[in-house]
Amino acid sequence: MSKLTTGSFSIEDLESVQITINNIVGAAKEAAEEAKELGPMGPTPFPGIATLRDWSFTLFDRYEPVYTPMCDQCCYCTFGPCNLEGNKRGACGIDMKGQAAREFFLRCITGCACHSAHGRHLLNHIIELFGEEMPINMGASNVIAPNIQLVTGRQPKTLGDLKPIMEYVEEELGQMLATIHAGQEGAAIDYDNKSMLAGVLDHVGMEVSDIAQVTALGFPKSDPDVPLVQVGMGTIDPKKPVIIAIGHNVAGVTYIMDYMEDNDLTDKMEIGGLCCTAFDMTRYKREDRQAPYAKIVGSLAKELKIVRSGIPDVIVLDEQCVRADLVQEGQKLKIPVIASNDKIMYGLPDRTNDDVDAIIEDIKSGAIPGCVMLDYEKLGELVPRIAMEMAPIRDAEGLTAIPSDEEMKALVGKCVECGECKIACPEELDIPEAMAAAKEGDINALEALHDICVGCRRCEQVCNKDIPILNVIEKAAMKAISEEKGLVRAGRGQVSDAEIRAEGLNLVMGTTPGVIAIIGCANYPAGSKDVYNIAEEFLKRNYLLVVSGCSAMDIGMYKDEDGKTLYERYPGRFEKGNILNTGSCVSNSHISGTVHKVAAIFAGRNLSGNLAEIADYSLTRVGAVGLAWGAYSQKAAAIGTGCNMYGIPAVLGPHSSKYRRALIAKNYDESRWKVYDGRNGQEMAIPPAPEFLITTAETWQETCVILAKNCIRPSDNNMGRSIKLTHWMELSEKYLGIMPEDWWKYVRHEADLPLSKREELLKKLEAEHGWEIDWKKKKIISGPAIKFDVSAQPTNLKRLCKEA
Amino acid sequence: MVDTTKNTKLFTTYGVKTSKAITTEIAAKLISKAKRPLFVIGTAGLTPEVLDRAVKIAKAANLPIAATGSSMLGFVGKDVDAKYINVHQLGFYLTDPNWPGLDGKGSYDTIITLGHYKYYINQVLTATKNFTNVKSISIDKNYIQNATMSFGNLSREDHIAALDEVIDLL
Repeated sequence: MSKLTTGSFSIEDLESVQITINNIVGAAKEAAEEAKELGPMGPTPFPGIATLRDWSFTLFDRYEPVYTPMCDQCCYCTFGPCNLEGNKRGACGIDMKGQAAREFFLRCITGCACHSAHGRHLLNHIIELFGEEMPINMGASNVIAPNIQLVTGRQPKTLGDLKPIMEYVEEELGQMLATIHAGQEGAAIDYDNKSMLAGVLDHVGMEVSDIAQVTALGFPKSDPDVPLVQVGMGTIDPKKPVIIAIGHNVAGVTYIMDYMEDNDLTDKMEIGGLCCTAFDMTRYKREDRQAPYAKIVGSLAKELKIVRSGIPDVIVLDEQCVRADLVQEGQKLKIPVIASNDKIMYGLPDRTNDDVDAIIEDIKSGAIPGCVMLDYEKLGELVPRIAMEMAPIRDAEGLTAIPSDEEMKALVGKCVECGECKIACPEELDIPEAMAAAKEGDINALEALHDICVGCRRCEQVCNKDIPILNVIEKAAMKAISEEKGLVRAGRGQVSDAEIRAEGLNLVMGTTPGVIAIIGCANYPAGSKDVYNIAEEFLKRNYLLVVSGCSAMDIGMYKDEDGKTLYERYPGRFEKGNILNTGSCVSNSHISGTVHKVAAIFAGRNLSGNLAEIADYSLTRVGAVGLAWGAYSQKAAAIGTGCNMYGIPAVLGPHSSKYRRALIAKNYDESRWKVYDGRNGQEMAIPPAPEFLITTAETWQETCVILAKNCIRPSDNNMGRSIKLTHWMELSEKYLGIMPEDWWKYVRHEADLPLSKREELLKKLEAEHGWEIDWKKKKIISGPAIKFDVSAQPTNLKRLCKEA
Repeated sequence: MVDTTKNTKLFTTYGVKTSKAITTEIAAKLISKAKRPLFVIGTAGLTPEVLDRAVKIAKAANLPIAATGSSMLGFVGKDVDAKYINVHQLGFYLTDPNWPGLDGKGSYDTIITLGHYKYYINQVLTATKNFTNVKSISIDKNYIQNATMSFGNLSREDHIAALDEVIDLL
């Protein structure tokens, strides 16, 4: 009798035979062993739309959906367009709130689909190379897939185990996408529930992606001492042939790197990347901590700038966050564009089945501006060879869009300061004023625009004088660009179980004042230095910083007076006063996964299929707040929303108000600030923190105050609360010039008060809030609305209470 | 008089109902007549020339100030009734008739906005536009299409002159 577990078998030429399988010997035992290993299964494995609705609604009861629609109209079906202004209903019956919620939901499922399709592509590719039986290797941890385990109840052990996880995500995505159709869902709050599930699945899809590539592509595995990587436009040597890779999916680029290594080209040419492919290029085959030769140019905001500089000799695209005009922009400067993923083909001819030599000849002759190449073996050879062939041709012609000194003078002179560019600019840059100064010979104002400019070229399209404004700005900033050389720590992957065990108590008691996770894109309101400023402020205060993606790159672009970046000044472990970079966009799953691990490993909560309980734990006890200061993408909306469902609040930059939906609590409504005490089910008052699950802020200074405040959790012990209040008060005084109005609401006991201000604050409590103070003992006798009880078990879930 | 109504070009094209462009005279009248006004000043209001005029307007019309972003820093020691609040939070609270306001005396019937990113305040004001009866008057240098009433797009010089006119008319 043979043992049949997974896989398939076939018997050829067998007809009209019925096969009955009564039992698969060993399967039940395996299932039992797996169950023992995972612990008991929670109530919600493989959730569908309705499964976690109660938890969503529990969250919405305190954190109400706040709609800021982008448009008065709905133009979705042929009944319309319908004017929904003033919360009117359209012809189909949907009202403005419902439409705004649907629009937000559409962003979340788009983001989820993007990460998950990325994961599916990578997984299929990697399984084809290494097989389904390849064991997952994320480093020295037992909890290797916390998002997958939390959501589905499964703990994958091999790459093949990830396939049913992807199938589940894909099925739910289909179910959810169907509800966008006219005449389906109508209630705003139910779209919001679906958004939350889409966010959760986004983290599952991201986790599959990163597990596959960390396991199979030699990425660092939970390594706090990963090497530093060069970052910035100034790091690329334009004298060498230059390959620029743009996107998020590193699968194809690994073949280019292999070819470079096999042909001894790594020091003879440059390979740099933009967006998250860049990060994953620097992780590829670097688990041995060898310094990467691949470089990171920067974020999406730098795409047009690097192309216009004329530095790339070939551009290779994969997927996500790629500008739609790169073929046209490349053509102007004879930069071929090679598309390596069928999600982005940009109208280019598909030459997958053609000979590499023939393709190179067609590109060199200008017969084609580039091509689609989906055969990665060929891609690996094609791209470096194009770079080497095109570099001398392009060098000889001196191809760049950056104007000469004389051209610059003439272009600036054409400006009539009509102001059209300023109205069109999404960053509200005062281009006319900078142009006027440049006419007088002062280019400082133009140079200063470079970092804030997101390189969208909306200004150029409205210019009545056809001035290539972006090129003018870049010309003015040539010196600054050449000096753009920073360092960022390569993506380390997950936080290990051992690190969680060591830090968990500090997090739950509050003696580590908080985890600040700075993630996301580069659509900043006032330039990239904001994220550096925020990171530095919190590192100096001993918070634990976790970063990823484009924000992680931008943080590495700035140095202190000794010329050191934050990554050189602070180590990369998961403990207070450290800054750790999990990696690319899909590595954001390790940030949420870390929070789940605190509940599972430190607190011993069952993780499997137990989302609401783990999220409830995180919301009430783990002082972690996300920050996506430049979020622009649908993926960022999905990441943030997934975090919300997991009980992790997030602050976004002002541009992100255009996502259309926030979750904000009424901090003045005391009825919303109650939870149950898990010991007996009795209601207990909690402080109004976090005040939101997702919201926006105006400036980085305001954000610092908001982040510090919203690290406060009901479970903080006295020392933890005192530390958190100290930072919040200091930051408020530093950046807003005032003590927070509502600081007293967070005080339960005199030991909660910052030590250096205790007497002063006790006086205020007595004089301004009528609290009774024993001045001999310097103790609070009466006054606090919240009691301090070190044994309390705050929970939003009645079912978790012992008396329930 | 500065013509504060002539340029109402939108920086993008959303909206069926857009703000009515108003003169400095009408702005001053509306501010004066509001029963329960709130002056919402963002961080761009911290430039010395705008801050000076914001303080004068607040004093002339006895307006309480909601200092959003990090603008609060500018109002410390200026003898005005200013309190910090996040502008997104404010936009939400304005949709709640039971909000006690910044002073505990209840919500507001009119907000006057100044010193904001145009894209940000426009988003925040979609909440008041669509889900409340609160009137919003923008006296910023950009045309704010989701306000009830707004100045048009103004040069920096014209904007300062317009604010001076509002001060004189209050």
